[in-house]
Amino acid sequence: MNILEIQDLTKKFDDFIAVDDMSLAIAEGEIFGFLGSNGAGKSTTINMITGLLRKNKGSIMILGKETSKDSEFVKRHIGLIPQEIAIYEDLTAYENVKFFAGLYGLRGGELHDRTVEALEFVGLTEKQKSYPKTFSGGMKRRLNIACAIAHQPKLIIMDEPTVGIDPQSRKYILQSVHKLNEMGCTIIYTSHYMEEVEEICSRIAIIDHGKIIAEGTKEQLKSLITDSKLIFIEVKSQEAIDVDTIYKIQGVTDVKVDENTVQIHTELGVNNLNQIIDYFIRNQLEIRSLDEKEPNLETVFLTLTGRNLRDS
Amino acid sequence: MNMLQIAWKEIKHEFRDIRTLVFMLAFPIVLMLVLGTALTGAFNEDISIDDMDVLYENTNDSLSEPFKAFTEEVEQSGIHFKPLSDGMNGKEQVEQGKVDGYVSVDQSGFHLFVNDQSSIEGSILQGALASFVDRYNLVSEITKVAPEKAEIVFSNAVKHDYIDDHALVPKKQPGSMDYYAIVMTTMIALYAAMSGSQLIAHERSRKTASRLIVAPIHKRDIFIGKVMGSIVINMACIMLVVAFSKLVFHANWGEHLGLVFLVLLTEIIFAVSFGVGVSFLIKTPAAPTMVVLIVVQLASLFGGAYFPIENPEGILKVISSLSPLTLENKAVFNLVYANDSSFIMPAIVMNIGLAFLFLLISTASFRRGEGI
Repeated sequence: MNILEIQDLTKKFDDFIAVDDMSLAIAEGEIFGFLGSNGAGKSTTINMITGLLRKNKGSIMILGKETSKDSEFVKRHIGLIPQEIAIYEDLTAYENVKFFAGLYGLRGGELHDRTVEALEFVGLTEKQKSYPKTFSGGMKRRLNIACAIAHQPKLIIMDEPTVGIDPQSRKYILQSVHKLNEMGCTIIYTSHYMEEVEEICSRIAIIDHGKIIAEGTKEQLKSLITDSKLIFIEVKSQEAIDVDTIYKIQGVTDVKVDENTVQIHTELGVNNLNQIIDYFIRNQLEIRSLDEKEPNLETVFLTLTGRNLRDS
Repeated sequence: MNMLQIAWKEIKHEFRDIRTLVFMLAFPIVLMLVLGTALTGAFNEDISIDDMDVLYENTNDSLSEPFKAFTEEVEQSGIHFKPLSDGMNGKEQVEQGKVDGYVSVDQSGFHLFVNDQSSIEGSILQGALASFVDRYNLVSEITKVAPEKAEIVFSNAVKHDYIDDHALVPKKQPGSMDYYAIVMTTMIALYAAMSGSQLIAHERSRKTASRLIVAPIHKRDIFIGKVMGSIVINMACIMLVVAFSKLVFHANWGEHLGLVFLVLLTEIIFAVSFGVGVSFLIKTPAAPTMVVLIVVQLASLFGGAYFPIENPEGILKVISSLSPLTLENKAVFNLVYANDSSFIMPAIVMNIGLAFLFLLISTASFRRGEGI
């Protein structure tokens, strides 16, 4: 059963189309990764799912209910972990979790128990009486998670939850994602860290210019470019590069020049590296570095969008 | 229920914010102490009034006797009535300051001319005459029913204290500490607009606005809860300031503290609503607080918070009347020092009316917009 179904979703800001006729389905129990550069439409989509933004067109169904019609029911089953830490510095860790869980209708003993459980889940039991202003960045991130899960939502949306934290806290959060998933939660996970998405997501959608340009498991996505590889050549100056001449080399399917780096897409199995290097030497283009990449999620993203995820 | 939860959270925030507490509690108390002590001389409670000369012209024979008795009676209080001489213009004499007042008695009644109605002398004359007119009207009514008892009212056996009965200037006058206790309290109540202007903006800057919006609660609950919390905390601060000024500075808050608190409560409701309204009208993050600060400072200055503004004229009168503190202070002072509650209702109506207006603007903007 699908926990989330999006049909023809569109969002415009004046003349700018942030989300363009997007359709998507996420099944219960999935860890679904959203990949996209800044401004691709990722956050806008999440904001429409959670009710932070109104859609211009289309439908969003969560647990079989239209979000705009049954917003209270839908909201009760969503937990949002925003990209920026959204906690009150002058309330203790316990008070923070209790306050937000209370907004979901929990009261009395149940509210207390769920608050304690959530704090325990993120490893902050010892710190429940402390104020977040005394916390490290990683602890604040964990409290940020606790505030979103105490009401035991079925769908958890994590927007860049590991930004700006130490490796230990990142590991802790990634383990938490797995644990929450094992406990029956469906997770939508966005991240700039490709390796995180590769590690934890069962299915991934790549968003560009408000549209989903590719969707599937990481194996399915990689298979989209299994017949090609990418060669990156950094030169001292790109002024004398003649793209048309590089295109004529056997097996080359695409050439892009980005500042002093030349990206060359070439067919897998064609041995043309010598010819490519020869072109640069003959034209006195001083090579500073050369990198050959086999298909992975990053090269898939690069191939499909023409941009590096972290640089965008 | 969610509304109360949000209000309670708001109260916790404010109570744990040392800067807010210092500002709301220490600021007015220190100002009371400094200004109340420094300006003691400007609030001399002993007012000496010289004898007053009043001209009169009586063309109403039926009032001759009682009016004569009245003039003799007030003579003892230092008010000397002299008949207008032929060819003399009573009004001109008053205008030129040669006499303190001129009374013309004709068939239509009494006409009093004084240079400044609100001066102490003018008020005493008005009060004395009003007292006489009341008593005369009383005699007329008694004459219709029991003529034999009418004389008793004006007989020498009955002591008349015309001035005490109807003096317009209250007998009690505030000392400097009394004055600053009231004006600093009404001023700090208006400062609730500052926290009002930050109510919603703080949720945005803490990034918690998104959490509130994704929760299954109505936007209305968020709004009312926050406003309610802010009103409660500000009112608590004001009550502490009043209690402190009463117990430590022995400031006079009169015998109707409940009514005083009612005026202050409505003022806080207005102030918070004003702050919230401005934050919705001006969207840039820092601008609403700046605008509120300027408005509150000007309202305090022209509303008599730093020094009393007595009988303003011209442009000062216009500006002064624009300050909500002018009416607030007038309502509280009249209640405390003259047992006069006639300005309480206008002050409450003004506060609630303006609060309603600003809340209307805010709710319309809040409901229409996306997120918070």
